[in-house]
Amino acid sequence: MTNDRPVDALLPVVYEELRRLAASYLRRERPGQTLQPTALVHEAYLRLMKDRPERWQNRAHFCAIAAHSMRQILIERARARGAQKRGGAQPRVTLDEGLVGGESPSFDLVALDEALGRLEQIDAEQARLVELRFFGGLTIEETAEAMNISPATVKRHWTMARAWLARELAGDRPV
Amino acid sequence: MTPERWRQINDLFHRVTELDIAAREELLTRTAQTDAELAAEVRSLLAAHKPEDGFLEQPAWAVAPTLAFDEPLARAGAMVGPYRIIKEIGRGGMGVVYEAEDTRLRRSVALKALPSEYTTDPVRRERLTREARAAAALTHPSIATIFALDELDGALYLVSELVRGETLREELGRGPIAGERLLPTLIDLAGGLAAAHDAGIVHRDFKPDNIVRCTDGRVKILDFGLARAPASDPRLTQDGTALGTPGYMPPEQLAGQDVDARTDVFAFGVVAWELATGTHPFGASAAQMLEHLLEGRAVTATAVTLPIPALEPILRRCLRRDLSERYPSAGPVLQDLQALRLTGAQPVATPPRPLETNPATALGWWRVHQAVLAVVIASMPVATWFVRRWNPQMGSWLFLVVLALATISVATRLNLLFTSRVNLPHLRDQRRRVYPVMAGAEAILGVLLLASAALVAGDTDALASVLVTLAVATMASLGVIEPATTAAARIDADEGR
Repeated sequence: MTNDRPVDALLPVVYEELRRLAASYLRRERPGQTLQPTALVHEAYLRLMKDRPERWQNRAHFCAIAAHSMRQILIERARARGAQKRGGAQPRVTLDEGLVGGESPSFDLVALDEALGRLEQIDAEQARLVELRFFGGLTIEETAEAMNISPATVKRHWTMARAWLARELAGDRPV
Repeated sequence: MTPERWRQINDLFHRVTELDIAAREELLTRTAQTDAELAAEVRSLLAAHKPEDGFLEQPAWAVAPTLAFDEPLARAGAMVGPYRIIKEIGRGGMGVVYEAEDTRLRRSVALKALPSEYTTDPVRRERLTREARAAAALTHPSIATIFALDELDGALYLVSELVRGETLREELGRGPIAGERLLPTLIDLAGGLAAAHDAGIVHRDFKPDNIVRCTDGRVKILDFGLARAPASDPRLTQDGTALGTPGYMPPEQLAGQDVDARTDVFAFGVVAWELATGTHPFGASAAQMLEHLLEGRAVTATAVTLPIPALEPILRRCLRRDLSERYPSAGPVLQDLQALRLTGAQPVATPPRPLETNPATALGWWRVHQAVLAVVIASMPVATWFVRRWNPQMGSWLFLVVLALATISVATRLNLLFTSRVNLPHLRDQRRRVYPVMAGAEAILGVLLLASAALVAGDTDALASVLVTLAVATMASLGVIEPATTAAARIDADEGR
């Protein structure tokens, strides 16, 4: 478990690459279109592999770091922004300001992070799976590959974790 | 939760989700008979299980791209075109600001990364370009000069003079601006706005946070040339931050109407009032402020006096709700302020005023006075009680009347003390209402106590002298001390000065 956990030193490298790529995607595309998440991680992976391949154990290792750094960055910013808006009070940012209008229900990113932390205590594998899928943008198949389990197991875990998290967030979610 | 329990929950959840509604219910009911807790847990998970609602299906960064990527640069040392990032120095609705070095000219600049809407939306981009071009033509010592509007790596950046110092917001944190600095500061600010208005540019978001006091003591207005979103832009109204700052917006801007130079004049009035007094002219809380602004109610500051009295009519004219009564632009404001300096109004304000009391301190003494007097008057019935021993008939009547009057007086004084604590703006009105009753009661009390002293004089001189002391103290207070403390605390000042 510990050896494929993200190495903190690599987080900024991966994030910087993701950010740079995403920014260029966002600029190239018309507003209103969603950028292709998978393409983003793939491209970042290819670039960073070409650069210094010895840093990455394998693709799964890279995806885990990408997902984890994305989670750290987003949560940190959501907290900072919430604190800014509310003058330092309870930081809360809802995930409804994106390019995908109206499709996903709005919820609280910071609360999700906290709920994910609780899930980690109960079932570390499911929590990692959510991190890869939601923060890393991996598909079911990619997640299966990264975690070295079958796609069917990923689906089962995903369904359960999703329901569990939805219930945990129910208090915060607008009906 | 034990791993075993979690496994049971998972198993039952998956078995149930594969069944149809009726079979689900049956299985759960059956489970509940042996393990009610397990059945309840799975039931609540089922309620949250909505495969089609899209929850978590979009990756986080696609749902919140602005949160993930709206800061194109975050690291010191990064290069953006010819600019090297030194550090982030601020952020707001209009993007992140960096201190950067222009490597071609080797000079420090402020680099403002503008939100991506400006690159993607041609209308907003065009408007921004137009405003930036006009603002770049402005050169005035009180305005931070704009150097360039650059598109670098596909994003827009506004490059301007880097102003070092602290914002007037920070300066206000330590209290109002000292008398001798006030007028020059206001003249600098009005001068900057006047130059912009002459060039046809409106700032639209003039506030202490956008003004920096440089190390040489002069002030500079930041953020000219940034096109604000029109009020009809729903994304920005939802956000509530990009439309300017409510406390500095005149009623017409709050109402979403078009703005012109008079918007800045209003904001200037608010800022100037704040700088002069340390308090916002429309009240302390945001709710109160908005209510007053929307109703366009006149400045309600009660225990506040401008350090330069002649400034007040000028600022009040800036703050008029009616556009036609306001100064048409900052130019005439500047002229009036300069005239004020020339006519020597300033010496009134300059600090060598050793006898001037701070109204806040005076208010404290006024409160002490109320409390002490309440105690003195409360002791009157006690003193009168002893008169009965020497003159039972008259003594009883005197005691009862004194008790009644003292109750009125003490209750009123405590009420005023309370009002000054919890509802200061109404103190003046409240005092005006109750003062005649209170003063009348106290005057009669003084007379009655002197009469009591006369009754017992000779029998018990100790009691007589206590009575005389109380009477004289009360009358002296009523006639001399109270008017003085009240005036010092400016509680009796006229409303429409």
